Amino acid sequence: MAVRRENKFARVTSTVMYVACSAASVIILLLLIWITGYLVNIGMASLNLDFFTQVATGDPESPGGMRHAIQGTIILLALASLVGVPLGLLAGIYLAEYAADAGHLNTVVRFTADVLTGLPSIVVGIVGYELIVVPMGNYSGYAGAAALAFIMVPIVARTSEEMLRLVPHSYREGSLGLGATKAQTIFNVVIPAAAGSVVTGIMLALARVAGETAPLLFTALGSRLLTTNPSQPFPSLTLQIYSYATGPYVKERQMAWAGMLVLIAMLFLLNMLIRYVAHRSVRKFQVN
Amino acid sequence: MADVATNTAGVLTASGGALPRKRQSVKASVVFFDVALKWVCRGAAMTILLMLLLPVLVLLRQAWPAIQTYGAGFLVTSTWRANELEQPARDAAGKIIIENGETVINVLPAEFGALPVLYGTAVSSAIALLFAVPFGLAAALFIVRVAPKLKIAGPLSFLIEFLAAIPSLAYGIWGLFVLAPMLSTYVGPALASTLGNVPGFDWMFYQTITIGGTETRRPISFTGRDMLCGGLVLGIMILPIITAVSRDVLKNVPRAQIEGSLAMGATWWQSCIEMLRYGRAGLFGAVILGLARAAGETMAVTMVIGNNNQIVPSPFAPAQTMASLLANEFAEATTGIHRAALLYVALILLVMSLLFNVVARYFVVGRAIK
Repeated sequence: MAVRRENKFARVTSTVMYVACSAASVIILLLLIWITGYLVNIGMASLNLDFFTQVATGDPESPGGMRHAIQGTIILLALASLVGVPLGLLAGIYLAEYAADAGHLNTVVRFTADVLTGLPSIVVGIVGYELIVVPMGNYSGYAGAAALAFIMVPIVARTSEEMLRLVPHSYREGSLGLGATKAQTIFNVVIPAAAGSVVTGIMLALARVAGETAPLLFTALGSRLLTTNPSQPFPSLTLQIYSYATGPYVKERQMAWAGMLVLIAMLFLLNMLIRYVAHRSVRKFQVN
Repeated sequence: MADVATNTAGVLTASGGALPRKRQSVKASVVFFDVALKWVCRGAAMTILLMLLLPVLVLLRQAWPAIQTYGAGFLVTSTWRANELEQPARDAAGKIIIENGETVINVLPAEFGALPVLYGTAVSSAIALLFAVPFGLAAALFIVRVAPKLKIAGPLSFLIEFLAAIPSLAYGIWGLFVLAPMLSTYVGPALASTLGNVPGFDWMFYQTITIGGTETRRPISFTGRDMLCGGLVLGIMILPIITAVSRDVLKNVPRAQIEGSLAMGATWWQSCIEMLRYGRAGLFGAVILGLARAAGETMAVTMVIGNNNQIVPSPFAPAQTMASLLANEFAEATTGIHRAALLYVALILLVMSLLFNVVARYFVVGRAIK
């Protein structure tokens, strides 16, 4: 009798918790729909062609567009990738391919890279300020790109390491058996085999830094000019959105909302692409 | 010379016997490249170690004046006064002292203490965890135990990952224009009209401030840009990482563990508890990872927390976190000691988040997942 009652209690609890877990998931889903729906809604209302073709005017009544900021973000990302991608990739190659003769150091480097991905981005910006802006004497696009590269390196390193590890050992053995050196094996066999997924890692890092604002606050600073000169204060989409969104002018806020929509759309597409590429390249080796 | 550096060249020579002289000379550049790549890769890996060391050293050096001036007392001082403050001197009764027909002016020197921002960071992160941990764990359980049956585990995971990819600025805008107005017009007043009459809850709605030497108690106005809003936005932001990491941890619980408990007659929830217990180290890591995120998050918090360096117990009072203080004041810090004090805060933030991350990685990577 007692056992039965306990059972009943357990069953009711179980049902309640089952419903609660499902409800929590639904609430999260609704929250996501609410947030993105709101952002898309207000963004769509203020998005127009001028946004892409015009430059900031400085006039709160007709703020022009965000062409300078979009271009600035693209240049910043390109500059950051120029440093961050090779450095991260090489570190990833080290972790994946030279692991055997590295031993303990390997673990330390991997752990450090993991910890680095959790560094507050504002701290990265401040370090960039102290290391680059102060010696150079002014805020600059280079400093901003360096801060972004700093964030990219550990992400590229860890993802490319994991992607390179997916390449079956038989590939390497085949190449080495034919007399290729390790470097030849890495460049001619391993990297081409993992190319798709390594690109995923790079895109992942890009997606992460494309939305960053905090590291740019004290490095790139932001600008309302259509500039391609990274040795001067440099515009970025996120910085412009931040300054507009927290400002008092309605028209500028609308600009910020449109900018946010463009940024989110870009990141969404990038995420879809990443998922697609990653899925394909992981499957490639599972079939083998 | 050519074939000594690598084992592969050696293997070839041994098996192939005498190689033509010409091919060996070609190999010199290949071998050089082989050795070079190894060292370049090693250099890149070392750079990663340097990247951890560099920020600590830079901040330590630049913050040194403040560390020397304030020492460890910085952590427990609640005054943050960037500029000298002149105010009339008062006697014990709170009356302004007048000598020779002129008010006596006290000059208070600039002073810096991190207690308000430490408090702000701790409380906003706590609110965030209070929100994100139950929801994150429930969602993770749902994804692992329920969603596969409904064939929606893939899309759900994608949504969670997309939620993580949304820039913090977007959460900030949503918090500023949607959540904050909602909190100030509905939630705050509603709570005030109900809980406000219950004794023991005044701390939520009143704040004691000093005006002109006398302490006054006044009701807190609901601006929406307060500790509660900051904490909730943070909670939404760390939800994806807690969910994603917990999901991975729960996925790695051996099937036998669940099936065993189900076979023993356990209910769905009892087997879930078994799963949670099995993965508790990894789940703890997930929570700490979320905490590290929350403590270091900057932009969204800066937009919604109100940015006021004060310690007020009420969740409806504006507050300040370490990260938001840096975002607000770093560009405007003109005096050396102000900047050094801010860098001291940055150093504390850095060391704290390193600590959280190390602990979290230890539990997540080192113990739960292989």
